[in-house]
Amino acid sequence: IELEKSHYSDHEMRKLEEEEQLRRRKESVYDDDEAPGKTVIMAQDLEDKWEQRLLQFKAAPRVTDADKNNNRTSLNRKLDSNLMLLVKQKIGDQELWLLPQAEWQPGETLRGTAERAMATFLGDHIQAKILGNAPYGIYKYKFPRAIRTEDNVGAKVFFFKAFLQSSDLSQAELKEDYLWVTKDELGDYLKSEYLKKVNRFLLD
Amino acid sequence: TLCSFLLSSWLPQMVPFRGSHWQSSLLAFRASLPVRAQPKKKKKVDVKREQAQKDRMKKKIKKLEKAAPEMIPIEDFITPLKYSDSKRVRNLPPLTSEETERRVLLMKKWCLFKQKQDQAEKAAIQTLVEAQQEALKELRLESEELYQAAIRRDEGLFPFEREGPNYTPPLPGYDPPEGKCIDITKVYTQ
Repeated sequence: IELEKSHYSDHEMRKLEEEEQLRRRKESVYDDDEAPGKTVIMAQDLEDKWEQRLLQFKAAPRVTDADKNNNRTSLNRKLDSNLMLLVKQKIGDQELWLLPQAEWQPGETLRGTAERAMATFLGDHIQAKILGNAPYGIYKYKFPRAIRTEDNVGAKVFFFKAFLQSSDLSQAELKEDYLWVTKDELGDYLKSEYLKKVNRFLLD
Repeated sequence: TLCSFLLSSWLPQMVPFRGSHWQSSLLAFRASLPVRAQPKKKKKVDVKREQAQKDRMKKKIKKLEKAAPEMIPIEDFITPLKYSDSKRVRNLPPLTSEETERRVLLMKKWCLFKQKQDQAEKAAIQTLVEAQQEALKELRLESEELYQAAIRRDEGLFPFEREGPNYTPPLPGYDPPEGKCIDITKVYTQ
């Protein structure tokens, strides 16, 4: 409690006065004309009652079960930091851990592609808010020589950020392997070049 | 009708009895409203009085409106008098020099910590902006149309609401205690 720059509050004044009264009653011999019915509830009693109530209340623990088991597929872990969704996708002939991506179809904007990717991986009725129309980062890579054609030398992956509003993913149809990871754990799964570019636009 | 007045005062017995002295003849209806000097005066004075009253009221209203509107007191900035009572002052032991030392050093450490935090935040924002600029440049190289679509303002973004993080996660099946909240803030109108 702030003691130095404050005065006594109403509750404290009441407490002090009642202590005074008690002391006076004990010292001098009072006829009880101030019937005990007057001050039935003392301030001290109130404080004790509140203390009891506080002790009875137990808050939920910050370290959940998923943390203890290190179950990275549940959303209920690492409640004090942000979690990102990683999905295992097949690109070319390699199975890689990536941030969920979908190929751009001509006729839709990039944000539309992002929304479609979200819908495919998390189900249609997902409540996520994409922040803005512009991409946050980019990763360029060249295809291995076998697949290169004249036009398609490589691919550019644009990244968008979105916040998940509701943590209720019971309706989600996450078919393939998925993980919810924090920024530090990304390094365990992503390739170095990819990781470098991704880390630039991720705030923890 | 003037002559009826005269007749009634001159020959009260000769004239046959009429129902009311406002009737000029036995057969005719009451030709006009009762004509006497006094009612006329009442009406004029009434009208005049009422008009004078209305004018006075209007003048008062104009005066009130011309006066500047009263300032609404901000309740937070005025300490109520009951709290400046000398009885309420706490009596605490004075601060020791060790305590002051400790506080000064703590403040210095805190300043340093906050400075580092602020610098880190600014650097992070800088990299964020750079990454986005790079991405937009590449997008422009790809296709102008997509670039224009990306640059457009997102109307649905603001107002952006998000619930802040709590210290402990919500308890499943928690039943908060009931209570009623009565609002006693004073509302002022100008």
